[in-house]
Amino acid sequence: MAAPEVLGGASAQQAPPAIQLEQLNKEFLLSHQPYASLKGLLLSFLPRRLEHLHAIKNLNLTVQAGETVAVIGKNGSGKSTLLGIIARVYKPTSGRCIVNGRVAPLLELGAGFHPDLTGLENIFFNAVILGLSRKQTQERLEQIVAFAELEEYIDAPIRTYSVGMLMRLGFSIAAHVDADILLVDEVLAVGDAQFQAKCYRKIQEFQTMGRSILFVSHDMEAVRKVARRAVWLHQGALQADGSTDEVIGQYLQAMNTPA
Amino acid sequence: MIAQWKEIWQFRELLWTLILRELRVRYKNSALGFFWSLLNPLVTVMVMTVVFKYVMGMQIPNYSAYILVAYLPWTFFQYAILDSSQTIIGYMPVIKKIYFPRELLPLGATLANLVHFGLAMGVLFAYLYLIVGVPLQWSLLWLPVVIVSQFLLTLGLSMFISCLNAFYEDVKYLVSVGMQLLFFLSPVIYFSEQIRHTSMIPEAQRESLFWAYHLLNPVATLLMAYRKTILPPIHVEQQNPAMSAGRVVFPDMPLPLWLLFVNLGFSLLIAWLGMRYFDRKKWGFVERP
Repeated sequence: MAAPEVLGGASAQQAPPAIQLEQLNKEFLLSHQPYASLKGLLLSFLPRRLEHLHAIKNLNLTVQAGETVAVIGKNGSGKSTLLGIIARVYKPTSGRCIVNGRVAPLLELGAGFHPDLTGLENIFFNAVILGLSRKQTQERLEQIVAFAELEEYIDAPIRTYSVGMLMRLGFSIAAHVDADILLVDEVLAVGDAQFQAKCYRKIQEFQTMGRSILFVSHDMEAVRKVARRAVWLHQGALQADGSTDEVIGQYLQAMNTPA
Repeated sequence: MIAQWKEIWQFRELLWTLILRELRVRYKNSALGFFWSLLNPLVTVMVMTVVFKYVMGMQIPNYSAYILVAYLPWTFFQYAILDSSQTIIGYMPVIKKIYFPRELLPLGATLANLVHFGLAMGVLFAYLYLIVGVPLQWSLLWLPVVIVSQFLLTLGLSMFISCLNAFYEDVKYLVSVGMQLLFFLSPVIYFSEQIRHTSMIPEAQRESLFWAYHLLNPVATLLMAYRKTILPPIHVEQQNPAMSAGRVVFPDMPLPLWLLFVNLGFSLLIAWLGMRYFDRKKWGFVERP
C-alpha cells in the first residue's frame, strides 16, 4: 500500500514545526442587531453599534510535527477561533500563522452533510473537501464505512441517520484523509463508550505515525489521556503552557477560586 | 484574478464534486430524475402557448418552439442566480470549519445549472430536428458565443448576489422580485420585433427604443440571440379580435452580430467585476457583524 510510505516520508523529515503562531491577534466586530438587511442599511443614519471582541491576544505557540497539544479554557476563551485560524477559516488581524502540512478539522455533526444524499455520496463531498482526490476517496471508501460501522445504512439518505451515526461517519472520514494535522474540537463526546474507545485508539495510531493533533476539550480525563502537553487559553491570551497535568492543575484551581 | 482562477483549478476535484452533488440533489426524490425536472418548463410553456395563441391571438407556426428556445435559457439564468444566492448561507457550517476557495460555491451552482441547461437543450434539439423538422441553419455556429456570453453574465451576477445575500438577508426577496420584472422585460413570451414596431410611440423613435432595450437589458439580447441562431426567421403575426379587427404583422429582424459582441464584452466585464467583488468580500463571510 502506498499510504504508509507517504506517512513515513512526512515524519522522517521532522524539520519544520507543524504549526507556528507568532504574535497572533484576532479581533471580531460584534453587532447587536438581530440580522443585517439592506433595508436596515438604508434606514440607519446612525452608525451601527459595533463591539470589538479581541478573541486572540498576542499568541505565540509552536506545535512540532508529531506533537499532540491539548487546548483548554473556558467557553469564549478563543479555542475555536484558534482552530479556525489554523484551518484558514479566519484571517488573522495581525501576526503570523504558519502551517506545514494538510489540516483536517473534524467536521461538526452534519456540517457539510446533505440530508437527502446517501452516506456514500456524502463521504465523497467531505473527503474531497478535506483534501483527498475522488480516486483516493474511492480507494478508502470501504475502510471509512467499516470504521464508522455503517455498512448496512451507507446507501440510505443521511436524514435517516441518528446523531451517533453522523458523528461516527464524520470522525471516520476525517480519520482516513491522511492529514498531517488533525483538529479535534469537542466532538467525541457524542458516541457511545465503545466507539469513543475506538476513536482514542485511532488518535493513538495517529500519534505513533507522527501526525500532529490539536485537541480541544472540556473533558479533563480525555485531555489527560490524549495529550502530554497542554495550553490554557484565558480571554484569548496564553495563560499557561506545559505538561498536561501541570496546566490542568492550574486551570482547575483557577476555576475553583472565585475571581 | 489569475491567482483566483489558479486556485479554483487546484480545487477542481472539489468543484466537480460540488456540481455532481447539486445535480444529484436536484434529480433525487424521483424515479425519473432528469426527465421529471423537464416537466416544469414543458408545462409552463404549454400554458404560455395556449394563452398567447388563443387569448392574445399570436399566429405563428410552432409558437411553443419559439417560446421554449428562449424560456430554457431564461430558466438557466434564473435558477443559477437563485441557487447561487443561497450557497454561502447554506454552506456556512462547512465554511466556518475549513478552508477552500469560496468561489467554488456560486461557481458550482452556476455550472450545475449550466449542465442541466445543456441536457434540457439536448432534449429540445432532439424535438426540433427529429419531430418538428426544423432545418439546420448556419447561424447555429454562433450559438457557442451566445452560451459563453450568457454563462459569463450569469456567473458575474451570481458572484455579486451570493456575496450580498451573505451579508444582507433581504437580498433574496429583492432578487426574486427583480427576476419577475426581468422576465416580463425580456422577450420570452413576446418577440423583439414587437418592440421594434410598437405602435405605442411614433415611428421615428421606435428604432432607438429597440436598441436601447437591447443594450440596457443584456438578457433580452441573449434570449433574442438564442431564438435567431436556432430557429428560422418568422414574421410575427397577431390577430386579436378582442383588441382590434386588423391583423398586425411584425417583420423579422436578423440578429446584428455587433450587438452579440457588445453583449459578450459586457458579460466579460460583469464576470470580472463579480469575481473581484467576491474576492474582496470572501473573508468576511465567517465574521459578518
